[in-house]
Amino acid sequence: MSTTALAARQLDKTFGEGATKVHAVRNVDLEVEAGEVVLIMGPSGSGKTTLLSMLGAMLRPTSGEIVVDGNDLAAFPESRLPKLRATTFGFVFQDFNLLGALTAQENVEFALNLTGVSGKEARGRAQDLLTRLGLVERLSFRPDQLSGGEKQRVAIARALANQPPLILADEPTANLDSKIGHDIARLLRTIATEENRAVVMVSHDSRLKEVADRILWLEDGAFRNLQNMETDPVCGMSVDPQVAPHLQIGEEIIYFCSPACREEYATAESPGRHASPGMP
Amino acid sequence: MRVVPVARRMLFTDRRRALLGVAGVSVALVMALTLDGIFAGTTRQVSRYIDTSPADVFVSQEGVRTIHMAISVIPIAATDQIRGLPGVAWAEPILFSSDALRVPAGRRPSYVIGYPPDGRGGPPSLIEGSQPGTGEIVIDDSAADALDIALGDEVQVLGRTWRVSGFTTGMTSIVNTTVYVTFEDLAVVLGSASSASYILIGTEGDPDTVASNIEAVIPGVETQTRPQFSAEERTVVKDMSTDLLNIMSLTALLVGLAVIGLVLYATVLSRLRDIGVMKALGLGGLGVFRLVLTQALWTVVTALALAVAVTFGIGAVVAAVAPDIDVVVEPISLFRAGTGAFLVAAIGVIFPLIKVWQVDPATVFRRTS
Repeated sequence: MSTTALAARQLDKTFGEGATKVHAVRNVDLEVEAGEVVLIMGPSGSGKTTLLSMLGAMLRPTSGEIVVDGNDLAAFPESRLPKLRATTFGFVFQDFNLLGALTAQENVEFALNLTGVSGKEARGRAQDLLTRLGLVERLSFRPDQLSGGEKQRVAIARALANQPPLILADEPTANLDSKIGHDIARLLRTIATEENRAVVMVSHDSRLKEVADRILWLEDGAFRNLQNMETDPVCGMSVDPQVAPHLQIGEEIIYFCSPACREEYATAESPGRHASPGMP
Repeated sequence: MRVVPVARRMLFTDRRRALLGVAGVSVALVMALTLDGIFAGTTRQVSRYIDTSPADVFVSQEGVRTIHMAISVIPIAATDQIRGLPGVAWAEPILFSSDALRVPAGRRPSYVIGYPPDGRGGPPSLIEGSQPGTGEIVIDDSAADALDIALGDEVQVLGRTWRVSGFTTGMTSIVNTTVYVTFEDLAVVLGSASSASYILIGTEGDPDTVASNIEAVIPGVETQTRPQFSAEERTVVKDMSTDLLNIMSLTALLVGLAVIGLVLYATVLSRLRDIGVMKALGLGGLGVFRLVLTQALWTVVTALALAVAVTFGIGAVVAAVAPDIDVVVEPISLFRAGTGAFLVAAIGVIFPLIKVWQVDPATVFRRTS
């Protein structure tokens, strides 16, 4: 039987007032089951990071509710949010965000210390996790002595340290080469499946699609139906035909993420063919 | 239970910055401790004539409780009266004045003691030469070295020329020196043939009882035991220097404050991202406070230990190269420096703390490049 790890309803976030008001996230509804991997994609500035910050209890929504592990984050007292973050979420970042002054093992131990686990128990659990992730030879290495893939595995070990029901990953493969990025994607998939944890990833990386159970497209702060999306033939991004610049070549209409991609495509096309640029 | 020492690791990972910080605070503390040590040494030296005297009780004019910054005049006839009192083993008058010991090579502020030949009011020891006779003077070897004076040389004191008959030792401080002439010579110079400045008393039995008895029998005199007289002497010197010492201590405190504030602020600024990460992972307000405070305490404790070691080292070096200067590190100085250092740490954490308090955990989602 599946259980809901995360439920966000009518989530809304605005910044500023009056003329400077920006609507970053609009009426977002999202449910993620335990063991499920959800990939949120979208162009830069679409509100992905704002959404992730709210889901991770680092930013309060303007309206709506976020329920994680039975707790409504929007109504949770500010003073208790740090403890909630330590026990409920595991974070994985694009820049790894390991603490540079600590070794790999201490980075994981530190996360355990935040929930009151210390001494031998913390040390043992940190060693077990890092060993499971293939880092037994790197326990005493500092982040600057690790490769990108190793850093990200330490970050994943840290995220798993307190056995949180929900892992939030922000561009987890962006700073990694193709093979390592693939390995990290598979690792997150395995964690979700084997440990029954929900994983929400925000990324531009289409490689992550293959490990995701669901792919959501966020644009202008709202989810779009991916079934109705077109693919930009230049950069490969999914684009909404309702708002995307396009090019008509004969009977065919091609959609682009931006006028720049359309320009590039038009230049590369044979000059003999008739192309009509347009905006919706 | 052991937790990861994040604060210490963050502070000492950048060894150069940590070293500079600790060294900076140490310099301020060394400054305070050394000044205190020199002052303590000087006040001890100031009372050395009293401390090395064989007298158990000192008699002075009523109301006069020190040698320094005082004039005491008592009838010399009182000496014979005192000799007849029970418990008095011996009594000898001395005359006291102050001037400078002058030679062509320079000058040195000086206490001038006039004492009866072969009496107990003279120099504690003679390392060279002989006791002063008429027109002669005994000076300290350290002052003699500094002013390039040899036995038999002529020196000027109180407007008169004296021939150096002997050298004593240990009677020169950073402030002044002590010279010795005969009672009769000083009486002539001061024009006080029938009076003494102080009477030194050797006792048989309890000095306090003898002192009380003298005050009861002889009018117009004040008596103090040696420890009392010595303490009064040091107190008057301390009182004269308190403001100066406070200014110096405050300066050291401000230097330390500036250094520790800058070090912690720089450490915090260089680790803002890490602090954001820690907050994102679940470090609460109390944890952040503890983190910054622990760094301040580590800086201060390390700096204090280093400062104490360096100050003792300075004391040893000074004793070797400048025997006139005595650096005495007293427990009260250590307590004051420690208290000041922790005060500095407490104030120094305020701005760094405000800075880390303002770090938004959501900064973890911002790209570093």
